[in-house]
Amino acid sequence: MTKQIVRSLKAKSMQYFGAFLTLLVLNFLLPRMLPGDPIDAIYGDSLVVLTPDMRAHLVEQYHLNEPLRVQFIHYLYSCITLDFGYSYSYNAPVREIIGGALPWTFLLAGTSLFLAVLIALFLGIESGWRRGGLTDRFLFVLFTVLNGVPGYFVGMLLIIFLALKLQLFPIGGAQTLYAGYEGPEYVLDVGKHLVLPMLALSITELSWIYLLMRGSMLGVVNEPFIVTGRLKGLKERVIKYRYAARNALLPVVTRLGIQVGQIVTGVLLIEIVFSYPGVGLVMYDALMSRDLPLLQGILFVLTICVLGCNFTVDLLYPKIDPRVKYA
Amino acid sequence: MPETGISSFKRLSSGLTGLSKISSMSKNPGFPGFGTAGILIVGFVVFLGLFAPYISPFDPWDYSAIPLEKPSDLHPLGTNDIGQDILSELLYGARTSLLFGFFVALLATVFSVLVGLFAGLSEGFTGKFLMLLTDIFIAIPSILLILLLAAYINPDFLSLILILSLFSWQYGARVLYSQTLSLKERPYIYAARNFGAKKLYIISRHLVPDLFPLLLSGFVRRMRYAVFMEAGLAFMGISDPSTKSWGLMMNRAMEFVYIGTWKWWLLPTGVLLSLTILGYSLLGYFLEEHVDKRHRKVN
Repeated sequence: MTKQIVRSLKAKSMQYFGAFLTLLVLNFLLPRMLPGDPIDAIYGDSLVVLTPDMRAHLVEQYHLNEPLRVQFIHYLYSCITLDFGYSYSYNAPVREIIGGALPWTFLLAGTSLFLAVLIALFLGIESGWRRGGLTDRFLFVLFTVLNGVPGYFVGMLLIIFLALKLQLFPIGGAQTLYAGYEGPEYVLDVGKHLVLPMLALSITELSWIYLLMRGSMLGVVNEPFIVTGRLKGLKERVIKYRYAARNALLPVVTRLGIQVGQIVTGVLLIEIVFSYPGVGLVMYDALMSRDLPLLQGILFVLTICVLGCNFTVDLLYPKIDPRVKYA
Repeated sequence: MPETGISSFKRLSSGLTGLSKISSMSKNPGFPGFGTAGILIVGFVVFLGLFAPYISPFDPWDYSAIPLEKPSDLHPLGTNDIGQDILSELLYGARTSLLFGFFVALLATVFSVLVGLFAGLSEGFTGKFLMLLTDIFIAIPSILLILLLAAYINPDFLSLILILSLFSWQYGARVLYSQTLSLKERPYIYAARNFGAKKLYIISRHLVPDLFPLLLSGFVRRMRYAVFMEAGLAFMGISDPSTKSWGLMMNRAMEFVYIGTWKWWLLPTGVLLSLTILGYSLLGYFLEEHVDKRHRKVN
């Protein structure tokens, strides 16, 4: 058993290490493989005009006058020290920009995912349990339809109706700038700005998590141990949550872990719609102004986050489901 | 309970954990109307895309109209910020979305067949290597790498199709791999192998026909994903500027949300995009159920 776990850990680590290596190599090779000067590949389309001095400085910084393997070692070193270079469109080191944006993204993603998972699991359990009933059919059709609506469209509709027409919430941003709020006022202000993007993101994530949970419940409700529970005269609530839902939850947890990448996509798009100052918006700015050092830095950090999440779920899985023995 | 395709897959992959569990996901059986609704919706979008040049009132690239005009008899959905007819843009967008979805799904399916089936039939290093490659691709957050690639090479329509298909074959390959492992022990394939049939022959003569229903539902699922991604990438500013894209239209419409143009600009575009994605989902449900039925008969 322990031997098996160790062996599978080795396989898993290899998988994630491979993914990480692919990212590193692509990040390193892309600007150097393109025709012409890597500096032109990185800065050619951006809005900054490079003076010979800046050019010389960049050659120095990226060690471009040295052999490729030396460059790679320097590149690895800069990755470890999180030194992603300098962003000319923001006029600040990339690391600082990302550091300033990440907390907003975590706030938005964390709160909406929490909300979405909570509601989706509850609705999915109830819906799957009452398979074929009116509630079930209504919820199933509703979320099947919602599942097709892209999050950014939901976001824009929320802006139009709740922010522009009813003026309940601010249109965008994460806080009222230059208002000088402090303490509880500040928290309230941030909260108000958070509501709409959080709602948009939750609605989008809700639909597929619900569909997953419902499908998983359907696979469990006819299992023999449910019948056993009934024969034992257990309460409906106990069978539903402790017998059925507990088992149906397992594949959903796995999927959630795998889908972190998809969730990140959702966050990026929602941030663009609401001008929410997280990494998504910065990435959009970087794409628009072709600020590639900034873009590379963001994608690098995000990929590490996603891989980390997936790996954690993989490691936790045998703990959640004791029946799983790694093969 | 009769054994469904999915539960037989579960049995096959019961040794595998974590990432490979993905295929035991949605077992939501659809409702009777789902298949018909899916076919109708997809048919409608195909019609729009196919006949875009004939039903469009204007050339969607012609910017000679007055910008931001309200809907009129001449321009049923008004004009955009640079004076292009929105209805025509919408119709040509259907064309882009369809072509993109179709070719990405086709390429990705071909890749997944090649990798999954070859890995299933090859013993030893080749098979192991192919599956490691698949697992690595499953672990990579593809959207991030697509963005990175797109930022460097300023992709046109064709290279966008290539990039996206390069990152959408991996799940299919995993599923096909485990199916192949079980199929190759069936007597007729076993016999063919013992007669010295080449892998490509077994794949094309036995495995692909056997797995056709599975391939078809996978194809539709990838088409849905591709349509969603095309719009999303265009919304983030990554698209071929010489094609019309719903995502790009919505990005442009977003800037003018404040002056009431959203009713005939943003809304029809968003609804049509959502409807298309829904259509593929419904079609997918429908096909997946039929895959199940077939499997019940076979097993």
